[in-house]
Amino acid sequence: MMKKYDVAVIGGGVVGSAVARELSRFQLSICVLERELDVCNGTSGHNTGLLHSGILYKKGLMRTQCSMEGNAEFDQVAKELDVPFRRCGKLIVGFSEEERLRLEALLENGVRNGVEGLRMIDRDTLKAMEPNASGNFALYVPTAGILCPFTYTIALAENAAQNGVQYLFDHEVLDISRNPEGEFILKTSQKPVCARWVINCAGLYAYKISAMLGFAAYIPNRVKGQYEILDKKTGKFLSMPVYPTPNEVGEFDVHVTPTIDGNVLVGPTIENIQQNISYDVTQDMIKILSESGEKMFAYVKRDYFIRNYAGVFPTVTDPATGKDTDFVIEASKEIPHAVNLVGINSPGLTSALPIARRVVKLVLEQESLQENVNFNPVRKGITRFAEQSVQEQNRLIQSDPDYGEIFCRCECVTKAEIKQAVHNILGVRTVSGIKYRTRATMGRCQGGYCETRIAAILQDEADMRKEDILLNKNGAYLFTGKVK
Amino acid sequence: MAAAVALRNQGITDILIVEREKQLGGILRQCIHDGFGLKRFGQTLSGPEYSQRFIDEAEQMQIETLTNATVIDLSEEKIVTIATRDGLRQIQARAVILAMGCRERTRGALAIPGTRPSGIYNAGVAQSYINLFNTMVGREVIIMGSGDIGMIMARRMTLEGAKVKAVFEVLPYPSGLPRNIEQCLNDYGIPLYLRHSVVKIHGTERITGVTVVEVDERMQPIAGTEKEFSCDTLVLSVGLIPENELSIAAGVELDNRTKGAYVDEFCQTSVPGIFAAGNVLHVHDLVDFVSLEAEALANGAVRYLKEGTLPACDIELVASAQLGHIIPQHISGTQDFQLSMRVRKPMGRCRVIVKQGDTVLRRVTLPKAIPAEMIQFTVKADAIVSGERIEVSVNEI
Amino acid sequence: MRSERVFTCIICPNGCNITTVLEDGVVVEVKGHTCPRGEEYVRQEVLDPRRTIASTVRIEGAALPLCSVRLDRPIPKKDIFRVMEQIDGITLRAPVKIGQIVIENVCGLDSDVIVTKNMEAVE
Repeated sequence: MMKKYDVAVIGGGVVGSAVARELSRFQLSICVLERELDVCNGTSGHNTGLLHSGILYKKGLMRTQCSMEGNAEFDQVAKELDVPFRRCGKLIVGFSEEERLRLEALLENGVRNGVEGLRMIDRDTLKAMEPNASGNFALYVPTAGILCPFTYTIALAENAAQNGVQYLFDHEVLDISRNPEGEFILKTSQKPVCARWVINCAGLYAYKISAMLGFAAYIPNRVKGQYEILDKKTGKFLSMPVYPTPNEVGEFDVHVTPTIDGNVLVGPTIENIQQNISYDVTQDMIKILSESGEKMFAYVKRDYFIRNYAGVFPTVTDPATGKDTDFVIEASKEIPHAVNLVGINSPGLTSALPIARRVVKLVLEQESLQENVNFNPVRKGITRFAEQSVQEQNRLIQSDPDYGEIFCRCECVTKAEIKQAVHNILGVRTVSGIKYRTRATMGRCQGGYCETRIAAILQDEADMRKEDILLNKNGAYLFTGKVK
Repeated sequence: MAAAVALRNQGITDILIVEREKQLGGILRQCIHDGFGLKRFGQTLSGPEYSQRFIDEAEQMQIETLTNATVIDLSEEKIVTIATRDGLRQIQARAVILAMGCRERTRGALAIPGTRPSGIYNAGVAQSYINLFNTMVGREVIIMGSGDIGMIMARRMTLEGAKVKAVFEVLPYPSGLPRNIEQCLNDYGIPLYLRHSVVKIHGTERITGVTVVEVDERMQPIAGTEKEFSCDTLVLSVGLIPENELSIAAGVELDNRTKGAYVDEFCQTSVPGIFAAGNVLHVHDLVDFVSLEAEALANGAVRYLKEGTLPACDIELVASAQLGHIIPQHISGTQDFQLSMRVRKPMGRCRVIVKQGDTVLRRVTLPKAIPAEMIQFTVKADAIVSGERIEVSVNEI
Repeated sequence: MRSERVFTCIICPNGCNITTVLEDGVVVEVKGHTCPRGEEYVRQEVLDPRRTIASTVRIEGAALPLCSVRLDRPIPKKDIFRVMEQIDGITLRAPVKIGQIVIENVCGLDSDVIVTKNMEAVE
């Protein structure tokens, strides 16, 4: 008997998880179909982690509306979902008169959009605010902020799961058809799934799902960005993101962004890669990151590099206009019970919940829904030992002695946190899954000390065999078995 | 442990060893190969046997130890905060000896391009999986870097049935000791390619291979020399970095060359009463020298505890360009002291000269010098002529 | 026939390059060694190269699944993998002590496999 749901959300990124969470406010059986083994494995997990202010895009665009809305509500969202977040502001610096004009135009655009507190600052004010940043003047954007995209997506997904949403990992949607009752039959890489509604939140692959559902055949026109991550030693020298002035077409060159956990990100570079998806980091881009990054922030030095990564943005071209699209959030009478989200790239992280509410609205236009009276918007994350006062650390150890065993030295993560992560509500059992839930292995030794311990916990607590332990995806096995 | 035992031998009774592992012995517990102890004990031992000698001594002397306990903070006032399963402990120490060892340089620190598949291990991590946890990390292995641990793991993995295809070293000379090239690589027919660098990692799930390229004198890739090697495992042995996060927290100043503390002849750091020895101070090639350094440190620490202070160390030591670094970086001039250094590049017959102004304090002739081997000798106090800085240089002869 | 062979001595970390002069396969001169053990090593190496090896064996009832072992005397290089097979067949039971013999006279090579780590019995 095929498993049947009211709603199948395709994609467990930040948007899919936000949609699932918002739909769980109603009496619906919901599943999220995710091709990878955890949430946040695509675009959501490979970006800058910035809460956008809404300054960049033209008034009236869906991007602008959603990011303005998402920005305004984020203090409340962060509190509800226990997501570390800092409204630190952002600086866009300039050197030449030409850049000053461009920044002033940007400021005007921001004011038109309703972004509050924008102002130009001179060199002295800039140096006082951010002594290690370059620039002769800057546009200060006080409403911008930073958050961890993994923690946020995991929080949305866990809250959705708490409210009854079922996550089906390793479920790539291969084909969509309808049964005689008009319900969707989703052929997946696992068993097929039946659903009355389908919400396309497939990110990089949304164009494919769009075509399967009968919406337009959008053309993928992807953009790749490469990043370097700097040691936490540099974090204390940067209090907010520092961007160069955008070029004529509004693209930003390499910038530096502090992370909520105290590292600094350098990047992204920008490459147009059309149809391809590749996450490899290249020699020439590392060079550009080093050189351009140092122009922004004096501490961009090779000695501080701890890791690099690449992200891919799902930009799409509308076949009707031949132009790259705005956020597309669409439903159609001809294609009942389907909502199509395409072209959700930047600022998708900021816009996830506003997008999700628009999805709910489109669903309500076709069907009346009963409120889920048991819905609880509050989700509690794993209590991080490293972030507590000495008194609280002691209390934690008394309540659970595993809090007294440091597993990850660099990030000061305890055995208790690792165990809680292994038993996460989504049932994720990969080493990367534990990493993103605890920060273990994310420090300067990159797991040299704690990875053996995580592997041991997975064997003990989750009863896994050595050869079944995966880094992040099927085939990414860590071990070939026992030595003897 | 060597420092603790030496301190106890000199009459210090109130000593605590704090260890994050469940057992004492540190990294030696996983270094099951032999070759330890020739200098210190006059016989060749495996890592666990070598460390057991110190464990036995510490036990006999009833030195207090706290295992499964991680120091999470050290302050300039020498307040040590320790996380244990029984709660946080804070201890006011009169003197602190830093003996945290070192960590491995990672793929991320080298910024090796390519994808991020599984199957990339630092040599020490692979060693711990294989020798302690009965966990095999792979079957078809490429090793990047010719550090000692990498070569030792090449042999170890070969013995356990893996195929080690090659070791690639970007420098024109090996980073590890000649005897390890002989007994770990040559014995098993594993080729070592010098002036070769891994420039790309392939594979989206598990690693499937690497691209290797020859480099020129300036370590720049030579176009057209790219070769691809398939593998399911890449082991990195590309250098060790002293583990000084706690030292930094305590305000200890670090030397950018050693990545360890600036110390005087007493192994005292820039914070009075905080001492450092072993791999946390500078990376050694031999554990025997680690123990000997820690034992020598005890003299200074005892004197500090008894007198409350140590003589001012205003005589600066500087190393010439051919030397990578020098330990100690400053001395008092009141007593004989041991000098440790490494050359930057291999040299044939050469002479190390220690000079103050035009006066030669010590001259040491060596049949050869290589970066893999630390050079150590003593300089006599009565040779020191003034408070002027001391220059150490080495030249081929 | 006279020939020369150069060896890297593995006895100590100095790794001296030692030259042996051979006449019809017999060592007639040794050059470049800095200690008697070096000379002894190359004379042995020419005739019959020998190594000690270190490995692990399974152990039950200890905190870790493996116990480290080594040979107490060098064996001919060609026999290394034969000895490894013998070592792989062993399972110990905690507690064990350093020096405890695991396999006596392994493969008849006049060398014992011995424990190199103290391991206590745990619950």
